[in-house]
Amino acid sequence: MADSTPEQVTLTIDSQSVTVPAGTNLIEAARTLGIEIPHFCYHPRLSIAGNCRMCLVDIEKMPKNQIACSTKAAPGMIVRTRSDKAVKARQGVMEFLLINHPLDCPICDQAGECVLQDFSYHYGTGGSRFEGQKVHHDKNVDLGPHIVFDGERCIKCTRCIRFCDEVTHTHELGLFSRGDHTIIGTFPGKELDNAYSGCTADICPVGALTVKEFRFKQRVWFLRNTASICAGCARGCNVNLGINEERIWRITPRDNDAVNQSWICDEGRLSFQIYQQAERLGRALTSSAGGATKEMLVASGYEQAAATLGEIARKHGGATVAGITSGHATVEEQAGLKELIERAGGSRIALPVHERGDDDALLIRRDKTANTVGARLAGGANCTMEDLLTAIKIGKVRALVVLREDFLGEFGAEAMTARGALDFLMTLDWRVTATVKASDVALPLSAYGEMDGSFINFQGRIQLLRPGLTPYEESDPAWKPLLEIASRLGGAAVPKNFREAFRWAASRVPELSHLDTPALGKFGVSLESPASGQG
Amino acid sequence: MTSQEYRPLLLKNIHRPDSTSLSAYRESGGYKALERAVKEMTPEQVLEEVKASGLRGRGGAGFPTGMKWGFLPKGPGEKYLVLNADESEPGTFKDRLLMERDPHLVLEGFLISCYAVGCTHGYIYIRGEFVDPWRILLKAVEEARAANLAGKSILGSGFDCEITIYRGAGAYICGEETALLESLEGKRGMPRLKPPFPAQVGLYGKPTSVNNVETIANVPLIVEMGSSWYAGIGRPKNTGPKLYCLSGHVRKPGVYEFPLGIPLKELIFEHAGGLLRETRPLKAVIPGGSSVPILPADKCDVLMDFDSLAAAGTMLGSAGVIVLDDSVCIVDALLNLARFYAHESCGQCTPCREGCGWYVQILERLEKGEGRSSDLDLLLDLSDRIQGNTICPLGDAVAMPVRSYVTVFRNEFQYHVDHKKCLAEPAPAPV
Repeated sequence: MADSTPEQVTLTIDSQSVTVPAGTNLIEAARTLGIEIPHFCYHPRLSIAGNCRMCLVDIEKMPKNQIACSTKAAPGMIVRTRSDKAVKARQGVMEFLLINHPLDCPICDQAGECVLQDFSYHYGTGGSRFEGQKVHHDKNVDLGPHIVFDGERCIKCTRCIRFCDEVTHTHELGLFSRGDHTIIGTFPGKELDNAYSGCTADICPVGALTVKEFRFKQRVWFLRNTASICAGCARGCNVNLGINEERIWRITPRDNDAVNQSWICDEGRLSFQIYQQAERLGRALTSSAGGATKEMLVASGYEQAAATLGEIARKHGGATVAGITSGHATVEEQAGLKELIERAGGSRIALPVHERGDDDALLIRRDKTANTVGARLAGGANCTMEDLLTAIKIGKVRALVVLREDFLGEFGAEAMTARGALDFLMTLDWRVTATVKASDVALPLSAYGEMDGSFINFQGRIQLLRPGLTPYEESDPAWKPLLEIASRLGGAAVPKNFREAFRWAASRVPELSHLDTPALGKFGVSLESPASGQG
Repeated sequence: MTSQEYRPLLLKNIHRPDSTSLSAYRESGGYKALERAVKEMTPEQVLEEVKASGLRGRGGAGFPTGMKWGFLPKGPGEKYLVLNADESEPGTFKDRLLMERDPHLVLEGFLISCYAVGCTHGYIYIRGEFVDPWRILLKAVEEARAANLAGKSILGSGFDCEITIYRGAGAYICGEETALLESLEGKRGMPRLKPPFPAQVGLYGKPTSVNNVETIANVPLIVEMGSSWYAGIGRPKNTGPKLYCLSGHVRKPGVYEFPLGIPLKELIFEHAGGLLRETRPLKAVIPGGSSVPILPADKCDVLMDFDSLAAAGTMLGSAGVIVLDDSVCIVDALLNLARFYAHESCGQCTPCREGCGWYVQILERLEKGEGRSSDLDLLLDLSDRIQGNTICPLGDAVAMPVRSYVTVFRNEFQYHVDHKKCLAEPAPAPV
């Protein structure tokens, strides 16, 4: 923006004076005073529709009530949100909205986080004078792969239509029919199948649009939201994990202007399903009859790994100890692997690439790992998988430590040949993979949602991953076992908690050295020399 | 001049043979005003004449036409004039007559108006059901273009003006100017939020003025005869000739042209032949199309102009005069109207979308004798909640008659509650 300070205007809302930038609408102006002007169709990231009429306010010198969403603050304007005129209009709108609404809150997924329900309590009269027949619409309309539509709950606010027109530019939805038969639907031959379709359910103020993968699963008041970030790609969208009874039931976007505004893609929204479907690794395993199948104590794993790595380093030289780091791992974990490899005398650390499709114009990145930037910055990634496999084959690498990667599963026969050339393979992962099964030592890691950590997104913003679940069985974040083993090879003391681990990792990276976890807060911090993009 | 001596100005050609042809129109002196305007007057002079004439919009609101044009930005830059030929207010059929019988008058007025505001591409938005008027206008535009009365350098003046005719799909709401613009742009016909007003952001985002057919048909007259002559017709601030649409229980329903300000009763009893049946006295008159408050028989001594009817608590509106004799059940009449508005509400904003259907349900039970006394106040209260709280005037257009009918004829509504039948005695079926 070229202008440094926008023009300010001072107005009065409910007898309180407030100064806001010119162009601010009355809903936002009132919000700065802590005054709620109720609304359904208005959404700060969509165009103004002005159709719900819930935000009608009484403005001095204007004969009619005005809608606050489309009225810009003007100098000296006197706005009353609680005058008889405004209250009567608002109660009217509430009553009108409810005459054809099914009032099926007890079986509606939106109940508990329904704006219509909330405003009915706050701004309605508590009763209805309507005694007639409600207009009936289709109730279970399949709009696309993830979204189901209930035409009777819909209040025609058109947020979903505007989202598809203005945010995704995919134009699947429109209004059809007229009067109280007006209904939202997909245009002929179209499906609501854009990559962000779940966001229509987020912005739906009522239970008209629901996500198939969540509907009927949980009452929302049982869910506890954990403010975290999505691990599905290099964007790192800010999300809430909806958790109950040790399970993530849904992921919803959390506003962050610098990262994802108010949106997430459908793939990210449903990414928790992976964690529920995979076979978890809960115990340390050691090899028995050609595979890691025998359980052992985690501490025994540390001892065994330290002893073997030390022995190989003595016998063949420290340079034969290498690692595979991961963009799926946190900054602390990546730094932990680097520390272990270096303690053993090695330096070679490969970073597998996980790219799919293309970057899109909104959020989606083709890099499907959340922390590629961290792997380079803190994890010391310095070679490709191809280089590493070659080095193994020619005997330059004899011991390999793998962090959150399944290279045997992904690189096929070539990798299996390499496995045969290794004297020692240790894998740290949250699930049982082909690599885990072929390891000499496998150590269990906590999964997404079970641990703290930090990720650096493609913009160079470092953000916190937060736990809402208890770590599975004997799992830990990888920095713990990695540094336990490193300490047995002469490394420093192991951090006692996440904050200490973060401080330890940050202190080793100039770009991070000034940071501490409280400073990252809920929205992260842009690094001074980001890898790319804005912050 | 008494109205008996009045010679029609707007309808002067409609009974001429072949009145829709260019040759007939020219024989009657047509297109002289256009020639005068584009050759002898500047656009500003035309605009000033229209302002000085006192011409007020004939579509319903009665807003001064010259002032409306004055809201458009001056000077070069794309802007549009749109002719609102979506006449659809129940009880109104005047624009249709002009287009069917004298399309070149409408066209000449439109071309002069385009010249006045500096519009080089005018759009005519015509109601979908008006198939004949549409064909007639299409032919008229072709004739005019062939005669260099439209298109490039009209009559060699250097003024270009293309005309495009667009047919709507038959929605009442598309008579509302911003819904009309949406429809004209190919979108669903729903009113826009105002501000911005069309004069700033109208058709395709450009400054636009939307004018009614009859309004525009007055413009050649003003240019030809001068604004002071024109302003001498009618009454102060309510100047010019006016088309009145008489329907309902009169002997001679039809379109009548008289100056603004003719007494309503003269219109009904002298010109429209009086009431249909001698045995049935006048009950009420809806003076300005279905959206306006009703006048009971004892309040019908009014003059038919904008300000007089406003003073009487109603509106001239579209001058669709619907005459009701005492065979009409007012509950049934209001139910009929409410059904129309419930059907025509665009569905965009809450009070109108939900309120119209609610009105219908209440009126249906009253009509069936299943209502109760509280329904009367409920109807009035719903009108309070709708009127003034909607995006466009359609909400007002239904709330106003509901409030007026229930207030003026409350006893009849109460009778329906108390006796479960009509107070009105229906007329016997015609023999």
